[in-house]
Amino acid sequence: MGNEYAIEADQLRRTYRGRTGWLRPKKTEVDAVRGVSFTVRRGELFGLLGPNGAGKTTTIKMLNTLLIPTSGTARVGGHDVVKQTREVRRRIGYVFGGDRGLYERLSALDNLRYFAELYGVAPREQKRRIAELLDLVGLAGRERERVEGYSRGMRQRLHIARGLLHAPDVLFLDEPSIGVDPVAARELRRTVADLAASGTTVLLTTHYMVEADELCDRIAVIADGQIQALGTPAELRHRADGRRVVEVEAYGVPDSAVAALRELPGVRETAVEERGALQLLTVQSDAHVDVQGEVLRELAGVRLGRVSSREPTLEDAYVAIVNAA
Amino acid sequence: MTVGGVIAYRALFNWTRPSIFIGTLLVGPLFQLLFFAYLGRQLQVADDRFYIVGNAVLSATLACVFGGTLAVGNERRYGTLGHVLLSPRSRTALFLGRALPYAGNGLLIAAFTLSASALMLGLRIPLSALPGLMLAMATGSLACSFFGLTLGALGLRLRDVWVISNVAVALLMLLTGVNVPKAGLPGWMVAIGNYLPITHAAEAARRFAAGSDFATAAPELAREALIGLGYAVLAAALLKIFELESRRTASLETL
Repeated sequence: MGNEYAIEADQLRRTYRGRTGWLRPKKTEVDAVRGVSFTVRRGELFGLLGPNGAGKTTTIKMLNTLLIPTSGTARVGGHDVVKQTREVRRRIGYVFGGDRGLYERLSALDNLRYFAELYGVAPREQKRRIAELLDLVGLAGRERERVEGYSRGMRQRLHIARGLLHAPDVLFLDEPSIGVDPVAARELRRTVADLAASGTTVLLTTHYMVEADELCDRIAVIADGQIQALGTPAELRHRADGRRVVEVEAYGVPDSAVAALRELPGVRETAVEERGALQLLTVQSDAHVDVQGEVLRELAGVRLGRVSSREPTLEDAYVAIVNAA
Repeated sequence: MTVGGVIAYRALFNWTRPSIFIGTLLVGPLFQLLFFAYLGRQLQVADDRFYIVGNAVLSATLACVFGGTLAVGNERRYGTLGHVLLSPRSRTALFLGRALPYAGNGLLIAAFTLSASALMLGLRIPLSALPGLMLAMATGSLACSFFGLTLGALGLRLRDVWVISNVAVALLMLLTGVNVPKAGLPGWMVAIGNYLPITHAAEAARRFAAGSDFATAAPELAREALIGLGYAVLAAALLKIFELESRRTASLETL
């Protein structure tokens, strides 16, 4: 592994040990990450995809020095994340999604001033840097308002500005668009793309395939604490080559019907996405088998909406990879 | 360190709104002082000066003890602790810097309580005693802030550190000899009180208020400063240990 890599993870493993009960305490062990290895080139936008509890955030926390790996090694910017924490911290920014992580009673400007102090931005540079970042994330003009009055999208943009204050070489974005409305999410994606274009290495975790597909140079799919697939979005899409997808909008599909669909000849994957009262049923099958008629027969008696057949997407490939784990 | 400390104070201290600040930190301690002063008169335990000067120094504790606890505890509440722990800056400078605004706050409260209660109860304090009194109150406030920060550091390990802070404030009232003369306390309580902040600052302040010169009060001031330094070192050590432990055992919900 040479200097071309901004991030190098080698056989990272993290086991959480806990204890439950007072009178008869029981020790518990959870292997959150089980031997994860990957490299990210300088300036690359690398995606880490996986379901909840797959080990994405634990991996990021080991890379950004918040957690010590149980075993394995990792380097960021050539520095060991366990032994050279200060050097690593100088070079990284960390942004995570959600409402928390900002000082509610302070204005955006004061939040940035404080974090600039924390991250060692020279006092004479702070004013210029903060103005630049407020412009970059579109909060110029709103910076004197208290954060407690900010929308989630504005908070998320402020999170990104905070993460960039010290011009980090590597930016960790942990589900930055979670809970953000589509318009704000699109703006966020544009900001992230601009960052990568300007040479910042970005490690992005997300649940949104569109986001990963649009932004990432390469993607690692992680499930059950292990990397299940790694490649460019196009390479991962090939995982679903030779398949067809039937999508059915339905209301109140019973579990037994979904189970029956899985048993149909030629069916490879099924997934149900809840969208309020509506359920979007996705059935992947071998391309040479037309399962649409069989699917509709199994759903007889269920109120249905739109039914369509299409080519597989990155999301379908992702579902196939995760289900195979 | 100071700029960061002041912004952190505004971000993390819960009682900055004027109504809460005045009610909780100024009026509350003043009534507490009046209660003990009138009780002392009734029981003829000690004179007004004993209660006014001692309680004025003690009045800083609420802001300083809870300030120190909030300086760490509210980081968890806001979910900002992880970002603070990711700072490449020295933890010692970062967290000890946070104690300074709380000490300033404590000094302001102590000065107000002393002035207001002296006016209300008719205590005459010689002008020449004021610099010494201010020094004693400042030393006590600083020591108490570091004590609060030590409790705050425990907040990295204990979820309900507020319970400890509440108990600590009550213990300071009992064990520092501010309201009960040391002669009236059991030996073990006096011994504990000798290692708490405020005890020696209150004694030094009483000596200044009684017209003693600096040399007479200096040993008590030095003891108070030493105790403050001890708590500062303890707070820095605990913060370092708990941070390291959190990285090893994931004991903190840092983010």
